[in-house]
Amino acid sequence: MLAVVVPSLWKMISPQSLLLLSRLAAGDLEALGEFYDLYAGLVNGLALRILRDASDAEDVVQEVFVQAWRQASRFDASRGTPEAWLCTMARTRALDKLRRKVSRREDPEESAPAPTATPKSAEAIAVRKALGGLSADQRRALELAYYEGLTQTEIAARLGEPLGTVKTRIRTAMIRLREVLGPLPS
Amino acid sequence: MSEERFLELAPLAALGALDGEDLRAFDETLRSSMLCCAELAAFELVAARIPMALDPVAPPAGLREQVLAAVAPAGYGRATAPPRSWLFPTLAAAAAVILGLGYVLVRVERDAARRDAAGARSGLEALGQELTKAQIEMATLRKDLARERAVRELVSHPDSRVARLAGLPAAPKATARIVWIPESREAVLVVTGLGPAPAGKAYEVWVIAHAAPVPAGVFQVAADGSAVFHLPVVDDTARVRTFAVTLEPEAGTLAPTGPMVLAGGAGSS
Repeated sequence: MLAVVVPSLWKMISPQSLLLLSRLAAGDLEALGEFYDLYAGLVNGLALRILRDASDAEDVVQEVFVQAWRQASRFDASRGTPEAWLCTMARTRALDKLRRKVSRREDPEESAPAPTATPKSAEAIAVRKALGGLSADQRRALELAYYEGLTQTEIAARLGEPLGTVKTRIRTAMIRLREVLGPLPS
Repeated sequence: MSEERFLELAPLAALGALDGEDLRAFDETLRSSMLCCAELAAFELVAARIPMALDPVAPPAGLREQVLAAVAPAGYGRATAPPRSWLFPTLAAAAAVILGLGYVLVRVERDAARRDAAGARSGLEALGQELTKAQIEMATLRKDLARERAVRELVSHPDSRVARLAGLPAAPKATARIVWIPESREAVLVVTGLGPAPAGKAYEVWVIAHAAPVPAGVFQVAADGSAVFHLPVVDDTARVRTFAVTLEPEAGTLAPTGPMVLAGGAGSS
């Protein structure tokens, strides 16, 4: 697919992250430790949100950082930030694990853990505010897609709503987020 | 799948939520349209920001070491000491070996350090090249997105009007629409099914309000026969009766000289 860059994307990637990634690509083990220190909390938070199980989340964190170590040379800064790269890997692995659990009838808990701390970064504040601006129905549909990996048909079945309604909710929510969040903060 | 339909599905695709016929049709369209790729990528960036709202949760303390151990080469960071009873003989032997091989070891270390430095430099150079490449793509994409945004704004403007242009015998498969706002004279032409102009030629748009057609810019079509063209502001657009497109020399002309390929009345929609 075409590599695409949002105009301010480069501003979002810190020189520290780029340098760390270049050191990772060169096989610098100390750099992996620093990279882990920077992002392990983010990856673990996402894995926990999807899996609701600390042990499973721990597995995902380990797998993601091993994958980052092996694939650092393939990181494409034109496709997103290191955070987004790690979160994409974490989401994919966590959703795979979640689907295996569900297929074994180990259903995850229904309720999402509530945020427990005030977010510190400008990005976290902006995204949380943008999500808070959505209607409860839109946010629920969006979360089922992102954090549970459900398709539009599965979401419609889960919510007992018509497929068209679900599609409209998700589309409206994403367009709203795009409008509100705008370009990435510098 | 129409572009409009694609744009409706792009937000769902960015979340991986499409399935069934929507997913199949979306994937087919994605392969053929740069604009669609750009739209999907923009929504993927939005999706990637969703987890940034979560609170970071520190993993268990020992996990860091497990990660490092999982990727470390065998023996990395594990210095082993020989049993004390062997210490003196071993040291003596080692000293002799070190003295004998010292120069070689220093050279090996130096060469290894140089290789590491070269590797790091090469990594940075690769990142620099990626940066340049991405910046070029960024400039192209910004242009495309600005164009797309302008078209959308124009189409959604309450005073916008639409004219349908039909393909004439010189281009029977061509169709086009012009969306314009009489007051501001802004106008966009969207063409499909028009063959690429021969070398040295281009298509020229004409605004006809009175007797004489007024030139409104030249454009080329893509290999698939499509084009989206922003017309320059022309006074006669406010009172236009007919839009037309002819094949002309590449630089354009002040009056039509070539075959007319598309035409349509301003009240045709």
